[in-house]
Amino acid sequence: MKIVLVIIIFLFILVIGKVFYIQVIDYDKLNDLASNLWSRNLPVKADRGLIYDRDGAVLADNITTTSLVLIPNQIKNKKETTSKLAEILGVSYDEMYKHVNKRTSIERVHPEGRRLSYEVADKIRQLELDGVYLVKESQRYYPFDTYMSHTLGYVGIDNQGLSGLELMYDKYLTGKDGAIKYFSDAKGNKLKLTEVYEKPQNGMNLTLTINKDIQASIERELDNAVTKYNPDRVIALAMDPNSGEVLGISARPNFSPNNYQKYTTEEINRNLPIWATYEPGSTFKIITLAAALEEGKVDLEKDTYNDSGSIRVENATLHCWKHGGHGHETFLEVVENSCNPGFVILGQKLGKAKLFDYIKKFGFGSKTGIDLNGESTGILFPIDKVGPVELATTAFGQGVSVTPIQQVTAVSAAINGGILYKPYIVKSINEPETNTVIKQTKKTVVRKVISEKTSEKVRYALESVVSNGTGRTAYIDGYRVGGKTGTAQKVQDGHYLVNNYILSFIGFLPADDPQIVVYFAIDNPKGVQQFGGVIAGPPAKAILSDAIKALNIKKPSGGMEKEYQYTDKKYKTVPDVSGKSKKEATEALKDFEVVFEGSGDKVTYQSPEAGARIYEGETVRVFTS
Amino acid sequence: MRKMNITLCVAVIVLSLFGLLMIYSSSYVWADYKFDDAFKYVKNQGMFLIVGIVFMYLVSKINFEKYYSYANKIFIICFILLVLVLIFGTERNGSKSWFGIGSFGIQPSEFMKLAMVIFTSKYLYNNRKDIGNIRKGVIPILGLTLGVFALIMLQPDFGTGLILVMGVIGLLFVGGVNMKFFIKVGLLGVGGIIALIAAAPYRLKRILSFLNPWEDPLGSGFQIIQSLYAIGPGGLFGFGLGGSRQKHFYLPEPQTDFIFSIISEEFGFMGVLIVASLFITIIVCVVKIALKCENLFGKYLAFGIVFELGFQALLNLMVVVGLIPVTGVTLPFLSYGGSSLLITLVSIGVILNVSRHQR
Repeated sequence: MKIVLVIIIFLFILVIGKVFYIQVIDYDKLNDLASNLWSRNLPVKADRGLIYDRDGAVLADNITTTSLVLIPNQIKNKKETTSKLAEILGVSYDEMYKHVNKRTSIERVHPEGRRLSYEVADKIRQLELDGVYLVKESQRYYPFDTYMSHTLGYVGIDNQGLSGLELMYDKYLTGKDGAIKYFSDAKGNKLKLTEVYEKPQNGMNLTLTINKDIQASIERELDNAVTKYNPDRVIALAMDPNSGEVLGISARPNFSPNNYQKYTTEEINRNLPIWATYEPGSTFKIITLAAALEEGKVDLEKDTYNDSGSIRVENATLHCWKHGGHGHETFLEVVENSCNPGFVILGQKLGKAKLFDYIKKFGFGSKTGIDLNGESTGILFPIDKVGPVELATTAFGQGVSVTPIQQVTAVSAAINGGILYKPYIVKSINEPETNTVIKQTKKTVVRKVISEKTSEKVRYALESVVSNGTGRTAYIDGYRVGGKTGTAQKVQDGHYLVNNYILSFIGFLPADDPQIVVYFAIDNPKGVQQFGGVIAGPPAKAILSDAIKALNIKKPSGGMEKEYQYTDKKYKTVPDVSGKSKKEATEALKDFEVVFEGSGDKVTYQSPEAGARIYEGETVRVFTS
Repeated sequence: MRKMNITLCVAVIVLSLFGLLMIYSSSYVWADYKFDDAFKYVKNQGMFLIVGIVFMYLVSKINFEKYYSYANKIFIICFILLVLVLIFGTERNGSKSWFGIGSFGIQPSEFMKLAMVIFTSKYLYNNRKDIGNIRKGVIPILGLTLGVFALIMLQPDFGTGLILVMGVIGLLFVGGVNMKFFIKVGLLGVGGIIALIAAAPYRLKRILSFLNPWEDPLGSGFQIIQSLYAIGPGGLFGFGLGGSRQKHFYLPEPQTDFIFSIISEEFGFMGVLIVASLFITIIVCVVKIALKCENLFGKYLAFGIVFELGFQALLNLMVVVGLIPVTGVTLPFLSYGGSSLLITLVSIGVILNVSRHQR
């Protein structure tokens, strides 16, 4: 008889044991599953990570917007809700009716119900309709609008990165959305139980190597170039030669990431400073020069060359850019004059194996590996196809195809003591709340290309190009600037185009200890003399001048004095005219061209400001009131 | 004559009152939705509880030996009712188990459970010398029981039928039937089940589906999943009275078969321990009463009733926690159901009377 009692009690214990198993051992699993069943989430969008310049200026920001969220099960009066929302949002009744009656736990009205203006959101809020919620959403905003648009990229309606850094670092920038969790019954009604707020996890912040002021200078000069020359394309790039950090990068045409829909995918996706490939022209001579110096093939001061204006290589005659040639010149003068036959000699002294070896060691013919999408490789002659003519033209920058970033990276190596760095643009990735560094980019040495001593000679030669040679337009009074001009004829379908050039200048400063390398290229400027120095030198100089302040570069002692030619203009200091009358201002600014703006007679503001040194005859804008 | 067993009386009343509270807590959402009256179920059950307690008291005053004389009549009346319900009964949830009177319902199979115990007790008392003889002693009463079972299965109501059969088998065991007989019957049963499965293998799948309810979460697994979603999150201490989420339309009719799930959800493991202790207290009390009873008929009565009660409770609990497939059995004292509560309380009244005739 007791057996029956034992069995009954045993079964009770079995039941209790099972309950214990369910409630304690299986608790987590069942609780999660059940929570998913009970809870409905009102999404709270995470902020996308911000993108900063190197000093913390925000380049890509977020603004908070409001979006409409419907919970159809909770909407009691479907018709009223439909008609009111349809009216406010300007959606047809039928379409809104579909949203209101959709068999789903949460419904969004896309796109009319998203990114609502304050007025619209307020109208909806005042209706106090059941099952109609307004949730905060974060929208990407680019405070500098078109600035470095290709590099920053843009995001789609759901804040997903679609190009540039936004795409490349999307994984980091994207946060984890949070939610307001509330409990609902099986019919979708809200239960009167506590709501749980799950905080959204904001995306990581990016800090770039970009210097906002240098970037602004680049953008301004690009715009100026477009206004002045109506070119096909303009490209500008600035780099710290001692680390490979990109200080500024942009190009024209560009786009506004705040309104990306207005542009073609080509306009948006081609980040010209890393994508465009073309013949570099004379800026490439820096590589030939560095190679010849490193190999001890030339003494710039002692070795001389007699330029007759052309040189015969095999069956071809290669002309110097200057009719009649430069005559008898030292090799330093060859560099200053950018004399093509002189560089052919340097190429021949090196031989094709050595020259191409250096070209490759300087990084041409392969991607630099910058942390941006869409970099091109460029094209070099295959070494076995290189005959004497190809060797000769390559020596002065023809017959190779390179990207701006390759040129800047290579020239940086040539002047920084000989170290080729891998360029980069993202300095660090930080956790938004604690600012903990998640990932930090350190400068990466790719290889040592030339010796410190050779590099010093290259710097010297390039400084003299700016002081005495073709780069005079980039001379900055009181600072030591080095650089090289470039004029490259464009190739289309294997033929050189007539009167269609890419004019470029690559410069650096200070010449004895370079802190910045700037490259500026104008593709097919209209109605001007087709020389790199004349057209691309001044904007490069303007960027370098701004970099002096931006990078706080001290005025050096020594350096080369510029050799003034009769055509050169002199520098003058702009006087202070604020508070003066128009007449007085005109008198004070007699060395400059004065443009008045405003209606009054009293000067309130001037640009450039007092104390700036500009060429005589340049424009000073004076604002009056 | 002695005083009735107070422990049993208190445990039963506490459990029934707790049941009433839980019927309110688990049913008000559905009641409000279906009838616009959150108190609909609790009012019905409350009336039956009051009537039931009055009946329990009255029955405890009736000398149990009287049932001996009326056993056959009671049995025949209930048997006729079982036949009539198949003809005149109203169908609910696919079973014709009810005589509908207004919004109330009377379930003859509930009455039959008590009638069967009374009848079997009398039978065993009368045939106590022949009980060793299977053919003469056991087969007749077992045959009759299976007949009643078959009648109930016509409704169909497998759960009640099973409890009834289990009660009789328990009584036969107590009555001294040879153990070997039960082993043989057990083997026969297992053989039968194997034969049924061999004939149609899908049955095995259906029987075993309770082991992994997630295989068919919207079909056969639905109720057990919803039950687990109630029990699991309850944890050690539960969400507190009224805190259940699953009663908000997730668990269908939570006040009936699955009320234990809601108890687990609102009072957690501690609540489960208390409810289980009350059941065990009741069972142990009744078994003690039975063992101490000098009258063999009274002993059988008490055992029969407690077996049915215990099996029913266990059957329900094992379904709710997912140990056996869903059978559709309510939890005595706790689940909503007027006739069931009434007959359970009356049965306890019978036992209370038996307790007054102890050594």
